[in-house]
Amino acid sequence: MVSTLRFPSIEWLKAVREVFNSTDSYRGAGSGRCDCIVGLKVNGAVYILEFEGFGCTSVDKATESDLANADFYLDMPYDLWRSMLANISDNGHAVGEFTLNTLDLGIEEGIAHSKHEDQYRQDLFVRYNQTMQFFFDASHRIKTAFEEPTPR
Amino acid sequence: MADRQSKTKSADEPRPMDIPEPKFNWMNQSRQWGTRVTAGKKGLTLDKTNIGIYGEVPQRWGDQGRNPRGAIPVKGALPIGYSVTEKTELWADCAAELYEEAIQRRWAPATDVPWASIQALPNDVEVAICQVCTEILQYANVDIEVLTNWQHRMSYGYHEVKQFLATASLDAARRYEAFRKRALINGGGLGLEPTGQANRFLLESRGGWTETVAGLALIRTLFLITMCEYLYKHAYNDAERVIYSYVIQDVARLLTYGLEHLKFSLAHDEERKGSVGTMIAIGLGMFARDLRDPVLREALAIVFAGGIAGARKEGMSIYFDLMEEFRDRHIAMRRWLDLPADAATMPRAFRPRDQG
Repeated sequence: MVSTLRFPSIEWLKAVREVFNSTDSYRGAGSGRCDCIVGLKVNGAVYILEFEGFGCTSVDKATESDLANADFYLDMPYDLWRSMLANISDNGHAVGEFTLNTLDLGIEEGIAHSKHEDQYRQDLFVRYNQTMQFFFDASHRIKTAFEEPTPR
Repeated sequence: MADRQSKTKSADEPRPMDIPEPKFNWMNQSRQWGTRVTAGKKGLTLDKTNIGIYGEVPQRWGDQGRNPRGAIPVKGALPIGYSVTEKTELWADCAAELYEEAIQRRWAPATDVPWASIQALPNDVEVAICQVCTEILQYANVDIEVLTNWQHRMSYGYHEVKQFLATASLDAARRYEAFRKRALINGGGLGLEPTGQANRFLLESRGGWTETVAGLALIRTLFLITMCEYLYKHAYNDAERVIYSYVIQDVARLLTYGLEHLKFSLAHDEERKGSVGTMIAIGLGMFARDLRDPVLREALAIVFAGGIAGARKEGMSIYFDLMEEFRDRHIAMRRWLDLPADAATMPRAFRPRDQG
């Protein structure tokens, strides 16, 4: 029985990592080896993902200050995270407005940031964009529950 | 009869060669024998061979031959005439890594692009896409020529850079292939050759590789990445999305090399900031002149708007967004390089919504 995992959570990220690491098609053209440390900032929660070689080697819960160690981190309003993952779930991969590339263009300050202002490290988001996309695309195999929208 | 045959055969036989006793004195000639490189987590990558004397990357490589770094040079050879011989003129620490990445993250337009996803499009959209493809094809031609034109001037002491630039040339060739195929697959064809003053500026840049890199990375490559991101957002099928997204990654490597090289070079030769800044200013001016020609602008507006009908308002608005995005990234990169950067001084083409 497939259980439902809440996004964001370490369990959800580990489940996605497992799909990503075990799916050969995510290693093919446009992707490949990827070595970088990626932060995720979702609704106040922070996670650090480490990519090495063909896989995502670790996912950890972290704090805001840990983002300084990330080559770049992804941050966008929770509603967009939710819409992106719903889009991936519906289509098997992100389409239209919900690819990382398009989301990055759609928000004035972009979705990829860094604490260190090292252009070289931040540019890894562009160099490894397809790998990042494949990682989130892998979530289509995970039954995801979302947090209730924050009251405004 | 038998005797005669035997005589003839004997006369035809080659005389035994006088082979001198081999001395093997070329053996045991090595500047550092006993080297054992070891693979790391990423395999036996190029940077892993940089051990001992083989890893000594000198500030200046005076050898004017094709001597592989670490080999014993031939004596008395005529100089080949390499002009880029200083480390500050071409080096970037990431070059070996980018070379490996280019090989590892390769793709083949023939088989990795889902060409069957391309369906018939309205004529105005197809014409506009084909024109954009034509522009990108010429960019690719120019990139190949610029890269290869400088590669043969670079000393072999810096093989990491030469090898990475070889992959960047291949990336450009693949880019040419992919966009040519896109232009010719759907009942369209190539459009007008672009005016290309920025192309001439890049091709005729003779002042130095560092200055050329400034124009190539901070103007041409950055614009191409930004344009491909917008084209990806407004793509009409999966084939186009695949092409744009893979090309963005390819071109990002050249941008990374450019930024790292400029950072390295300017850190070691502060006076170079003047010539690099001048090169950027001239390059932006040339590129702005190219953009006065309406062909690319209108073609992009039609692609972004989904046809001529919406091109004037919606399409041009998105085109302005693209130019502003390019400008903002360009400014951010200049600031990272500690180069003067002020959006207000950039040509109007990059400030499309400014008043006055």
